[in-house]
Amino acid sequence: MLVMIYSVVFSPDEDDYPVTCIHEKLTGQPCVSCGLSHSFSLILRGRVEEAYQWNVYGMRVFLFFALQLLMRIAFSLFYFRFTDTRKQLIIMDIIGSILLFLLAFRQFFAYLIHYS
Amino acid sequence: MEEEVKNNTGQNLGIAALITAIITFVLAVIPCVGLMAIIPGIIAIVLASVGLSHAARTDSPRGVLVAALIIGIVASLISFSQVFVAGKIAEKADKWPGKIEKIISDVQDKVLEDLEDANVSIKIENGDEKIEINTTTNKKDLVEKLEKLEGEDTSVVDTLDRE
Repeated sequence: MLVMIYSVVFSPDEDDYPVTCIHEKLTGQPCVSCGLSHSFSLILRGRVEEAYQWNVYGMRVFLFFALQLLMRIAFSLFYFRFTDTRKQLIIMDIIGSILLFLLAFRQFFAYLIHYS
Repeated sequence: MEEEVKNNTGQNLGIAALITAIITFVLAVIPCVGLMAIIPGIIAIVLASVGLSHAARTDSPRGVLVAALIIGIVASLISFSQVFVAGKIAEKADKWPGKIEKIISDVQDKVLEDLEDANVSIKIENGDEKIEINTTTNKKDLVEKLEKLEGEDTSVVDTLDRE
């Protein structure tokens, strides 16, 4: 939800993002997640092609956050409606979220492992 | 009643710590903001620790608190590792100009090596006129050719007379 608000509030045209890449500042080289904020804002504004140009993995990470938002709503509804299966629901939620996280962020993990 | 309030405090601390730890984890793996994730990471660890000590006193369940503590510690470690990642990138960035120079030099050497034994053929066509020049860059062949040419006509004086 916070990611969505952040992407809506800050505009890619005005380039008023408060977060600057620490890696780029320290090393002078852009990192794998540079342009992610621009990418998110552009996706929300329907400019998908431009979003890909800012960050190739932007769409994947954005979909992770969007899916998480939907999953939180859906799982909360199921949690209160089906009281007998709460434990199974939590386990499903944890496994699903971990898998989605690994899928969406795998390039970032690879980047961190490569440089550490 | 008082015990129930105490249990709720522990549970609330556990949920707060777990949420903070998960946010820290997500932030920690994004290279741009990874270093900043150390702040929520510390908050998550502190919340989980307070919750655990509280749970020990009231003998309430600790599952969520332990999970929050573990995720918080792992996320903080990932976040802290970004310092080394940045260091490595900076180190590599310093070496890049040297590496590029070396690659160019290697390519130059390779091209010269390939040209050493190459046969060069130049064809120029202008309407009906055609000129074809065949030559070689092989040093041995060129020396042989020169020796042959010199051997054919030895009467030619190639020195200047000094008066």
